[in-house]
Amino acid sequence: MRIWIHKINANLHRYMALPAILLFGLFFLYPLAQGIGISLTDSNGMTTPNFVGLQNFIDFFADDRARNDVRITILFALGSAPLLNLFGLLYALFLDRGLPGKGFVRAVVYLPAVISPLIMGYVWYFILQPERGYLAHVLKEIGLGFLDVNWLGESSSALVVLIAVNVWQYVGMTMIVYLAGLQGIPADLYEAATIDGASRWGALRYVTLPLLYPAIKINVVTNIIGSLSVFEIIVALTDGGPGYATESLSIYILRMLYGSFTGYSTAVALILFLIILIPVVLFLRITRKSEYEL
Amino acid sequence: MNRRLISWLMCAVLVIMLVAGCSSTGSSTAGNTSNGENAAAANDTNVTNNTNDSATNEQKEEVTLKFFTGKVETIDLINELITKFEAEHPHIKVEQEYQKDASNVIKVKFASGDVPDITTVYAQDYVDQGKYLDLSNEAFWARVLPAIKELNTDIKTGKQFRVATNVTMAGIFYNKQVFEELGLKEAATWEEFKSNLQTIKDAKPEMTPMFLAGKDSWTLGHLIEFMAHGVIKQKHGVTDARKAFINNESDKLEFDAAGGGIEAFAGRLLELKEAGLINKDALTATYDNQKEAFASGQSALFSQGMWVLGDLLKLNPDMAGNIGFAPFPAIVDGTEPVVLSAEDSVYAITSESEHPEEAKLFLEFLFQPENLKAYSEFLKSPPAFTDVSADWGPLKDQAAAALETGVNIAFTETPSGFSGDDAGRMVQELLAGKYASSGDFAAAYKEAWDKAWSATNK
Repeated sequence: MRIWIHKINANLHRYMALPAILLFGLFFLYPLAQGIGISLTDSNGMTTPNFVGLQNFIDFFADDRARNDVRITILFALGSAPLLNLFGLLYALFLDRGLPGKGFVRAVVYLPAVISPLIMGYVWYFILQPERGYLAHVLKEIGLGFLDVNWLGESSSALVVLIAVNVWQYVGMTMIVYLAGLQGIPADLYEAATIDGASRWGALRYVTLPLLYPAIKINVVTNIIGSLSVFEIIVALTDGGPGYATESLSIYILRMLYGSFTGYSTAVALILFLIILIPVVLFLRITRKSEYEL
Repeated sequence: MNRRLISWLMCAVLVIMLVAGCSSTGSSTAGNTSNGENAAAANDTNVTNNTNDSATNEQKEEVTLKFFTGKVETIDLINELITKFEAEHPHIKVEQEYQKDASNVIKVKFASGDVPDITTVYAQDYVDQGKYLDLSNEAFWARVLPAIKELNTDIKTGKQFRVATNVTMAGIFYNKQVFEELGLKEAATWEEFKSNLQTIKDAKPEMTPMFLAGKDSWTLGHLIEFMAHGVIKQKHGVTDARKAFINNESDKLEFDAAGGGIEAFAGRLLELKEAGLINKDALTATYDNQKEAFASGQSALFSQGMWVLGDLLKLNPDMAGNIGFAPFPAIVDGTEPVVLSAEDSVYAITSESEHPEEAKLFLEFLFQPENLKAYSEFLKSPPAFTDVSADWGPLKDQAAAALETGVNIAFTETPSGFSGDDAGRMVQELLAGKYASSGDFAAAYKEAWDKAWSATNK
């Protein structure tokens, strides 16, 4: 008996992992396996599904609309993720100094991030709507009515607007992570660098950025995931339009699911999972060697 | 040893989860299917069970009915009626759930087993899968207009699985004052229609001749449903056209035919765009913008259904005498103008409902003449029940005149994977210049329709 208790005590930390494994299995592995199963069928959610092998995946790559949505999703991420990091870092570096009113600026920059992206999208829609939006009224008032362009009605400009609104909304989130990283860097390292003759740029290059690696990692990974799975902002601002010009893969998945293409939409969901997973894993592998340990 | 044992145990848990996930895919879906396939049989069982239920109903067991609706405009009124119903039947509670995207959300509800008892959502796919209760033998049919009963009759089985309480119409709403001022008449042909718009543009440059609400893609989808499909519907008549849409009879639908309804529609719409006769923000304007522009006199006409009337009068009550209503002009030479005259406010009871008798009781309550009168006057929509007399709105006489002059057409029964929203998004693409010609648009439309039809008719 005593031996058993001793054994349990000795392995308690391992048993404690069981609930997590069970939950992981229940909420990730089980749905994933079920998803893989459905993606190999022509299920429409109602009638008996037939096994179709990899046909859904073949159809995906043969479908112009799907390929366009992959392009839009990747372009959106390529625009959003770097800008979010760049502006987030610049804001953090700027606000990390002892400037008056920095708390207020921090709150203002962060505020949009706590508001629902759907609401934010609609607010920007009311601002940018041509002829009847707030921007159109202001431009008309100051005699620049000719600049009132239908930004959301043109395929190319609509995507730029979507990226800009996304960056504006989430730059605060990125900034906060960088600020936390900056505040974790000991001041004596800067003192040492100054004594060694490092300029401001040198301190940033050789002290700040290397020690910010953990924050950079978090921000880049979360921004890649967030940007590649974008949904709400597009729904509110353009609803994927005009036509399908700004439709992201997430929206495509939902529409296919509702459109009775359950098996196909599940296959697309798995493809999106891979599209997100590959850059994240690549980034983590590349940066693993470069990370400095304090 | 222990470590190895625990590792094996954990691996086993993960493998079991994975295998369980894979194996249950087929069985759960098959389960759903067999439910659907046997639904007709289940209907009978349900009815029998519920006859027993009502026999023992003296115990007045507490029952909760789930009412699922996609009609935003009637939420408050239905809630009022529910309160009245619950006061008369204290043992029945009715919970109303509204979803903007109801026609799609119900798909998830059917698949997940969270099935409502009563719904306003009806689609042929669900009829085919036995999702609705057969209402053919209900007493209220004797009170329903024959034309509406016919529209409520399932083409394949000849039974009625839904009942509509009202009649709706759709056509061209126009500003009567502007028409009178410029000496314009309701257009019967496309040339007359375009000429009217051009006259408005020339005489009133600050006014938008015709307003499109492209961001709400269903409004563009309606243009196809009424104007483009109107060509097919008038050629084959109400019943044959319904059969052609439901069975995808391509020889009758002729979606990609040169000079057919779809190609003609695409060409006509592009003509309006090129001539600057529609709003510049046709792709990004909303349904609300459309109503506001008309009610404030910024636009002269737009295409909509009678459901818009209540909102127009709310926005500008003084406009009541100034709203005109006309049929859609003929878009193909040699055809007639058309006007939608179809069922509105449809109710169906699901075959999986555990309380069909109570659900029927609720419908009977809704169909009481005083409740239908209140409903019709609130919705500004004519009742479909012959024993209900309602003063439903200022367009009563004009609607009657439009029904006389235009060929009466019904809604299109689209495959569930190709909704009005989907068709509307194709019209957005057309306006955005994606298609090189109207023929390309017609071909793409046929391809999208066929793909969706095949997905649900395996």
